[in-house]
Amino acid sequence: MSAVLLSLLLALQASPSPALQHLHAGVEAEKSGQLDAAVAEFQKATDLDPKLASAFVDLGGVYIEKHDYAAAIPPLKRAVELDPSLEGAHRLLGYALLAQGYADEAIPHLEKTHDVDALGIALLEAGRLPDAVTVLQKALVQNPNDPDLLYYYGRASGLLSKQVFDELEARFPDSARAHQMMAQDYAALRDVPAAEREFLEALRLRPQTAGLHLEFGELYARAQQWDKAAEQFQLEAEIQPGSAEAFYRQGEALVQLGKFHEAREALLHSDQLKQDMPETLYMLGKAAAMDGDDALAQRSWAHLLRVEKDTPLAAQAHFGLAGIYRKQGRASDADHEMEEFRKLQASAGHTGDSPK
Amino acid sequence: MRPRVTSANLAIAPPEPKKECMNRQFSRRDFLETFAAMGLALPISSAMFDVKHPRGLDFNHVNSPTPQKYLIETMGGGVALFDYNNDGLLDIFLVNSGQLANPMHPPETFDRHDPRNWNRLYRQNPDGSFTDVTKEAGLANAGDGNYGMGVAVGDYDNDGFPDLYVTNYGKNTLYHNNGDGTFTDVTAKAGVAAGGWSCSAGFFDYDNDGRLDLFVTRYMIWDTQHSKICGAEWQTYCPPAEFPSTTNILYRNRGDGTFEDVSQRSGIASLKGRSLGVSFADYDDDGFTDIFVSNDGMRQFLFHNNGDGTFTERALEAGTALTADGKPLSGMGTVFQDYDNDGRPDILVTVLPREVYALFHNDGNGSFSYRSLQAGLGLLSAASSGWGAGLEDFDNDGWKDLFVAQSHVLDNVEQIDHMLHYKEPPLLALNHHGRFERADSGITSAIAGRGAAFGDLNNDGWMDVVVTSLGGEPLVLLNRAGTGHWLSVSLRGTRSNRDGLGARVQVNGQTRFATTAGSYISSSDKRLHFGLGTAELAKVEIHWPSGVHQVLEGVKADQFLEVREPEKS
Repeated sequence: MSAVLLSLLLALQASPSPALQHLHAGVEAEKSGQLDAAVAEFQKATDLDPKLASAFVDLGGVYIEKHDYAAAIPPLKRAVELDPSLEGAHRLLGYALLAQGYADEAIPHLEKTHDVDALGIALLEAGRLPDAVTVLQKALVQNPNDPDLLYYYGRASGLLSKQVFDELEARFPDSARAHQMMAQDYAALRDVPAAEREFLEALRLRPQTAGLHLEFGELYARAQQWDKAAEQFQLEAEIQPGSAEAFYRQGEALVQLGKFHEAREALLHSDQLKQDMPETLYMLGKAAAMDGDDALAQRSWAHLLRVEKDTPLAAQAHFGLAGIYRKQGRASDADHEMEEFRKLQASAGHTGDSPK
Repeated sequence: MRPRVTSANLAIAPPEPKKECMNRQFSRRDFLETFAAMGLALPISSAMFDVKHPRGLDFNHVNSPTPQKYLIETMGGGVALFDYNNDGLLDIFLVNSGQLANPMHPPETFDRHDPRNWNRLYRQNPDGSFTDVTKEAGLANAGDGNYGMGVAVGDYDNDGFPDLYVTNYGKNTLYHNNGDGTFTDVTAKAGVAAGGWSCSAGFFDYDNDGRLDLFVTRYMIWDTQHSKICGAEWQTYCPPAEFPSTTNILYRNRGDGTFEDVSQRSGIASLKGRSLGVSFADYDDDGFTDIFVSNDGMRQFLFHNNGDGTFTERALEAGTALTADGKPLSGMGTVFQDYDNDGRPDILVTVLPREVYALFHNDGNGSFSYRSLQAGLGLLSAASSGWGAGLEDFDNDGWKDLFVAQSHVLDNVEQIDHMLHYKEPPLLALNHHGRFERADSGITSAIAGRGAAFGDLNNDGWMDVVVTSLGGEPLVLLNRAGTGHWLSVSLRGTRSNRDGLGARVQVNGQTRFATTAGSYISSSDKRLHFGLGTAELAKVEIHWPSGVHQVLEGVKADQFLEVREPEKS
């Protein structure tokens, strides 16, 4: 608004016309919060001098303040016609058009002002998803803690992802990737038979695809079909021998199946591939404890407690250690671990009730 | 493709079995393993049970589901197997639930006058059919205002005739067995009406005075006026944490036909839970029966019997409160028996899916370890919801197998989560030296399983099952039998309670704790069944609640043995 005020001052100095007097009165009314009076003054100014761009800008600005975006658009359009270099007019017009749902029309005005927040939203609303993602990313660099921006960025990314997958399905419906994508969709819907069918087809078309067995195994794991999950995770580990996650998931599934020795092997390998992972350390301790190797269980859980102090996994590690110490007859150590477990449970608001 | 053997091509001779196999009895498992080793499909069904609809057993459970989704609607369906007239044949008592007269207008009034809403007693006839004797037995009045849940059986007055205790949402009822085929409602005199929402109950002798006491679990504080509906798009029953917890009840038998509420004095009421199941055994071998209580959505209770009339809750330190990960369980049914033949009672708890049926192994020093995964229950139960359960040796090989009545709590769970199912077939898993493996029960249809009671219905030496179905007909599962030997032991207490409940009985390395309780809202045959495999003789050791230790050597297999407790040591 400072550019407008400057032009107003210059105009007043050069020619204190009646139009400028109304313009000045409008500015004063706006300052004092009398928006209707300001509208009336700016309206008179534009009537008296239909070429006074600043009056049109101010009139549009007051309408925006009144959230009357529809009324703001005509004077702002007139302002940019009169003076296309008025950046404030473009910004206000972009906002008003965007607020009224005219995203396509808003974009060129917002581009002129380099207003990345509003431009990103306009691009998103206009369906120009790749551009929206890029611009919103820039906006987030400037305002990383803006929840609205995070929301729009997430929405744009999600829609872009969907758009790309839709294109994949439309152009290559029989490809392994299309079947993988369908499988993911069915998995999200918890439709296990349909997801299973699509995963199998994707694997038939391209058996060595990295990550496919992992996703397939995760489907089975969510469905509690641990034998099938273990099989898929093992296949993933064979394809990706460097994937700590594949070995971790394989170990977790093997624990569920009661195959603790094999589970330990997989989890130890996962730990070697990626160290200090709390989930791996907890599961390794669990597999070892259930396999009767209390020493390894203690080491794993103690390691976990050096990495994490006050998380649910830390609480579980304390609980596991209490069980081992109790079995070893170390009552005071067991009591200490149980106390730590209780403290963490209490701090997390758990009272022994299941969230279900 | 593997060739499928059918009756049409059975003329093709299978490979000759090894000679050593010919010289011993072939168990069901041997049979299955031999066929599997040959790479052949089975020519006949390997199912354990025949699903029967015995003539005369026309019960249909009425739970009357309402749009208000009252939680009681999804919890009932108790069953008892007991011989009420001492004719040697097990009879069946089925608990009905009832109907809200007008679900829209509190306070609730449950209709039990309509015969469709009665509890039912079916007397077994010698030909295996049943006769509905509810009315002449005096059991037609279920108590207006009561919504039925479960049943416990025990001879509380030691007169030789088993009595019935029926739990309700409302007031519970104690029916005294008059010994002439009729029962009398003695609740008021006995003082055991409880109140609130009772679920499982069980008779046991906690103070070893020779008289059966009574433990009653209560689920939560709930009534229709304080009910809630949960869910968003799909409205459904609320989880238990939405309602306040409550205390359980212990009644001490005074021996004069009355009971004393000792819940406070004994320490039982010192904790509030959301209790659904109860089972009894002496886990630390101190001569006093302990109590395990399964709680829904919270930690479990293990009440250690201090021997002085009080109990101390020790689940957390004993390792039976939570899973190995320190997480609470949705505990429903429970069994307190020795699954791995080490002589110590272990604890099984049935739960909801995405948990695993909890198996707490008794390590022998007053503590337990979580052994669900070692025992194979991770694969068997992680996607299922379990209710009534039993550890019984169905194939008479000397190892207790697992049977679980299954079904999700929520009748619309498939709409909420496609990975889960409301109705499920019951689980049968055979015990292979402490590890359970799924077996063919013979039940092909899914049901809303709830209660389950175990016993030898046709006295053929093979354990049978009756499973209830919420809002449906019960399943009678008759064991198809096989070749293994067996022994059924009936206890006749003299100094101990008359049925010897609480006794530890060991036969050829197996141990059973005498009880009719356990499972979920159900009561099982008081006789103790042992599979003997190929053994034709048995050594029977009985540790009576009175402290008497009795040993019988060279007992012949394949018989129903009644053992009388020695009058003097």
